[in-house]
Amino acid sequence: MHDRLDHDFMKYPRNHDPDEAALGDALRALPASTPPRDLWPEMAARVRRRSVARKAVWFTLPAAFAAGIALTLAWPQFHRHATPPAFTPVTTQASSHAATPRANNLDALQASSQQWQAWVQKLDHDGAPLDGRQLTQAVALQDRIGLVDLQLSAARNPSTSADLWQQRITLLQQLGLLHLQPYLVATQRAAGNDHLISM
Amino acid sequence: MDTPNFQQTVEPDLVARLQRGELAAFELIYRRFERAAWTLALRLTGRADIAQEVLQDAMLKAFERARQYRGEASFAAWLRKLVVNEALMQLRHDRLHVIEVFDDTLAVDESPAPWMHADAATLERALHRLPDAARAVLWLYHVEGYTHVEIAEQFGRSVSFSKSQLARATRRMRELLQPQLQVEVTPCTIGSTTTS
Repeated sequence: MHDRLDHDFMKYPRNHDPDEAALGDALRALPASTPPRDLWPEMAARVRRRSVARKAVWFTLPAAFAAGIALTLAWPQFHRHATPPAFTPVTTQASSHAATPRANNLDALQASSQQWQAWVQKLDHDGAPLDGRQLTQAVALQDRIGLVDLQLSAARNPSTSADLWQQRITLLQQLGLLHLQPYLVATQRAAGNDHLISM
Repeated sequence: MDTPNFQQTVEPDLVARLQRGELAAFELIYRRFERAAWTLALRLTGRADIAQEVLQDAMLKAFERARQYRGEASFAAWLRKLVVNEALMQLRHDRLHVIEVFDDTLAVDESPAPWMHADAATLERALHRLPDAARAVLWLYHVEGYTHVEIAEQFGRSVSFSKSQLARATRRMRELLQPQLQVEVTPCTIGSTTTS
């Protein structure tokens, strides 16, 4: 189909029937309508949510993969402190908004988020202390989790909620990884020492 | 700035900024076309709640798909096409499966066209009382300048569907604007009636 939209305004007098032509004239003369309120704030919020969700999707799988490796490395040092939730990222349709997440998917995301949160809290309480840089990163991650919580409270549809819950899980995983870093450093140092000794 | 139609020119620089994903550029374009898009959506769908969804979904697509705009038509025309597509998609999902059955045996009315003397509010009320498909076809044909072939493609139906809907919409408008001639219509599902 050709793109006729550029020249359509020129071809209005195409009705041979004067009555029909008059109907066209009358319809075109109707005054423009105005939305009941300013809809831009909603539009802007929607754009931002989708932008964040898209970034989260790109980050989720690599983050989960990295977290899996980190857990494997740190496990001997770490297992006495806490047991993390199963590392199976819950997938969402964040990149495909045509599909509506089922309620059970949303429930699974919420449950997963709670498990990760409980794990992070235990790490925070029992784990090794963070250095200054790690502490700054932890605060930034907690701020972002707080922002997601705020967005969740205003989310209106299941698809958006699912995206946000997935973001929350990803952020919690990052926060957990941060708490694991002292163990990772210790593991690497131990491995380095073993290597030096074997030489 | 707020000319409520799609005949506005959008500066190439503004389009380029939109294509780079600048939210500020998007806001400028959104505000410039908000009334035009809203009016078109409302005329096609007949309902404010659906028109709001259409406006937002179409504008969001304009933002997210701006890079697909190649400049072959004007930006306003491209945006208008997004609104039309979104409105018809909403109607297709929600309500286009229900159309009205018209009594095709009614004699052709030779009385003077009542829309020539109707005020805007009366005309708008009558327009909103049309069945969805008939209203959308009437608007696309008379106001947006679509041909029957183009309307048929948009609806995924035949050219005769477009022509018959237009004829029926015109007759129904005449009936609605001449209250003494109003006839009852019965909603019916497509496929179970003879509507051609």
